Amino acid sequence: MKRRTLITAGAALALPAAALAQQSTVLPPSVLAPNPQEFRRIMAEFTRGAVTQAHGLELDVPVLADNPSGVPIKVKVEEPMTAQDWCEEIIVLADLNPAPLACRMHFTPAAGIAEASVRARLSQSQTIHALARMKSGRILTAKQAVTVAASGCGM
Amino acid sequence: MDQKPPRIWISNTKPKKGETLRVRAQIEHIMESGLRTDAAGQVRPRHIVTRFEARLGQALLFAWEPGISIAQDPYIEFAFLARDSGELQLRWQDDTGQSVSASRTIAVA
Repeated sequence: MKRRTLITAGAALALPAAALAQQSTVLPPSVLAPNPQEFRRIMAEFTRGAVTQAHGLELDVPVLADNPSGVPIKVKVEEPMTAQDWCEEIIVLADLNPAPLACRMHFTPAAGIAEASVRARLSQSQTIHALARMKSGRILTAKQAVTVAASGCGM
Repeated sequence: MDQKPPRIWISNTKPKKGETLRVRAQIEHIMESGLRTDAAGQVRPRHIVTRFEARLGQALLFAWEPGISIAQDPYIEFAFLARDSGELQLRWQDDTGQSVSASRTIAVA
């Protein structure tokens, strides 16, 4: 911006507005950085302080992802859905992505199975977390580290 | 938001009762994250699919809320148990309010 202040007075009159407009649309570098506060906030909001159990939820992610702009992620609740207890919601998080929450999935007893696959883009090698909330309030968790060949967030 | 019709694969459209049906579906969508800039340095505004729903008749089977970390041309696979015959309706909606839908007939034997 300093360079702009040296420009002749006539041009300077028109410049501030243009400079401001441009500034407002330029991304600060921080938006591309990992967001650990947001990651913790989403985790806490989903679990609501409930005790989590690290079994019962299957998370299938490749250990080495050759294409970071389309990493296959599969989640499946291993417990059967019954009239008393079924999986209501699953969230998938990529802990070092600029937006850690990759997606939410909602399941209903009408489906009878809680299972889904998606493809995510990953900004760097990191850990994928999946959390499932059962109707009874139990939280099932799973995580898997994934190494990516390059960043997928610039694509 | 979509020129081409969604690509849909269903493991079996004439299942036996109780059989597990698997559905894979994909649409074309830019899934612009809002984190990219164009050649002039301007941010490309966020433009993503925000909701996907699968219904059999009136009953909601599965819903999906993608975020910006979901890949371009979003792909979704889900499963359900074949209990009733009916029209499987798939609907995608993006953050500009545009939507695309498709349906397939499921005939339980």
